Amino acid sequence: MDTRTETRPPKRQFLSAPFVQAMLAGHSALGIAFAALIYIVCVSGTVLVFLAELQRWEQPDGPVISAEVTPEFVADVLATVQVQARAEGAAHDIMLVGPTAHTPRFAAFYHDDDAGVDGDWLIDAEGLLAAPVEAPWAEFLAELHMELHLPRTWGLLLVGLTGVALLSSLISGILSHPRVFKDAFALRWGGSRRLQEADLHNRLGVWGLPFHVVVSLSGALLGLSTLIIGVLALAAYEGNSEKAFAAILGPMARADKSPAPLPDLASMIRQVQARSPQARFVSANIQNVGTAGQVVHLGMKTPGYLPMANMYFFDGAARPLGDGGLETGTVGQQILGALQPLHFGWFGGILVKLAYGALGLALTVIAYNGVTIWLIRRRDKGRPAERLERIWTALGWGQPLAFAVTAAVSLSGEEISLPAVYLATVGVAIAAAFAIRSVAAAGTALRLASAVSILGVVVLHAVSWAGQVTDPMAHFVNAALLLIAVVLALPVILRRRKPA
Amino acid sequence: MGFMLSMTFLGTFCGVVLLALGVLALRQCWLRRPAAGLFLAAGGWLLVLAGLYAFTRPWNGVLGTAYGLLAFSIIAYVVVAVGIEIRSARRPAPISRALEPEDRRTNWLRGTAKAFLAIVLAGFTSIGLGLAFAIAMPFATHERIVVGGLLVPILWGAGMAWTLCDAKLVRATIVLLSASAFGYGVAFLPKVLG
Repeated sequence: MDTRTETRPPKRQFLSAPFVQAMLAGHSALGIAFAALIYIVCVSGTVLVFLAELQRWEQPDGPVISAEVTPEFVADVLATVQVQARAEGAAHDIMLVGPTAHTPRFAAFYHDDDAGVDGDWLIDAEGLLAAPVEAPWAEFLAELHMELHLPRTWGLLLVGLTGVALLSSLISGILSHPRVFKDAFALRWGGSRRLQEADLHNRLGVWGLPFHVVVSLSGALLGLSTLIIGVLALAAYEGNSEKAFAAILGPMARADKSPAPLPDLASMIRQVQARSPQARFVSANIQNVGTAGQVVHLGMKTPGYLPMANMYFFDGAARPLGDGGLETGTVGQQILGALQPLHFGWFGGILVKLAYGALGLALTVIAYNGVTIWLIRRRDKGRPAERLERIWTALGWGQPLAFAVTAAVSLSGEEISLPAVYLATVGVAIAAAFAIRSVAAAGTALRLASAVSILGVVVLHAVSWAGQVTDPMAHFVNAALLLIAVVLALPVILRRRKPA
Repeated sequence: MGFMLSMTFLGTFCGVVLLALGVLALRQCWLRRPAAGLFLAAGGWLLVLAGLYAFTRPWNGVLGTAYGLLAFSIIAYVVVAVGIEIRSARRPAPISRALEPEDRRTNWLRGTAKAFLAIVLAGFTSIGLGLAFAIAMPFATHERIVVGGLLVPILWGAGMAWTLCDAKLVRATIVLLSASAFGYGVAFLPKVLG
């Protein structure tokens, strides 16, 4: 973090000047090396907090199930989904995700990895397969955040490493900020640009620290889990990663493929509710469905706990095999249950999501303006890096632009690869930044282009789905997008209106 | 049900008020620097802790703490934003007395070595130490694996920060290699010997 201030530091500092200078050097090096990755992961992660809302916006004619589903309804859905999965030759594993108070949709997924076939459906209030899940843009954003559209293992590893770099930046940032408390409320705007950016960087960084630490740590762990479990498997599970995962995620299906009846989900749900009357159905994952070796991971949520659900394990005959303890188990089990909701902000409804959106945006600004401070410092020292300034400006403002363009392409229904559209848009943004006369003008132009593109997405959505919207969430998301477009454009418009 | 809802609202409201008062007290202390600054700072932090505690009353402890910390950050952002100092662009920029990053001479070889230490060796070491915890500590399976797993990014991040700020590459290399030998030794030796 930049520690530029106006007052001379006290003589006796808790952190010595050479230590702070060395930390600052390390902080700068790390920030610059990982800047683009951290920024992209942060900005996509901020949008991804609203994944469920975006999925509903992309498919606004999808069925909405507001009432709580009964155990028998869930069991009937499983039977219906299995018939479809069998017809497609993909009845290996089936997953049902029930509606919640915050996400009133019931979805079913099935896949057979050996056959390479899968299916995703939305379920209607009658328990029938209403429509295939169609949310390619949300899927694109999720894969950008979690895997950067690289091959899965490498993508997860790189995103995990980015999380480590972010965590490391937080550590070195705090240690290179000796006036962390004394300057904690100073936000000077205008005048010196470097002071302004440094104040913003430090204030957003310090006061959002609990959030920043939690998301970077949980993100790093989620990204690195495959690597960590792989090494753990080598040391303790004869090299079998599945065994190592099973040790923490619960029992896996046995290899016995002889036919068996479908598991009685209704009975399982009632068994859990007999112990926890307030528990509500969230999900069911049936491995090796319809075989003697099948195992069910039943997700049930008891209100008042942080995990999205606790997992209850059953065999095919509805005999309990224990539970994950994610809500009330040991410390390790509760941490495991908290990782995903704490990382994405999926634990407390729309208010928590809005808070996560704001704090995620703060982290995105920190990642972006950290490099800006470094570039201004170079300029102040008479060593401007104008090419880098242009690239960084384009990369920064190119993200909302690229997100809007990919959304528009997705809405248009054209079968074009969204990662390719994303890369092309960022490429055009960089080219434009070099074509425009100054860095500041390039930033303004790209900012306006982003606002106009987002506005275009709202218009396209309204036209494409005119008269077909059954899910009110589509209107809320469109209103939010309009607000974002206005927030992006307004400062530019106001600046232009100001007399010189 | 109505009683529970009103208790939840009351606890949350008290939490927000206490957090806001705590942040305002800290602001008064650090920005104005009054004579009784130490007491004000201590009082501010106590109010923040009381606010977090108030959040855990109506909600479960873990959930309440998560809500409380979110509220704390948002309230602090609002307090900082309200106290923003708008400066004129015409006013001359203040002379900076802030510390600058250490000006180091570097070259490609040294840069590559630093990157190797910070990314590869620090990662290798942190995985080894996390693995040692996951295998050797006398806790239940979930504690060992989850806490051992959490140690990996924490140690990796700390190692990255340290190796990038430490100018002495040999020292960093020796420490990381020693820690690796310890971690992987604890993790794999019982298997190799047994």
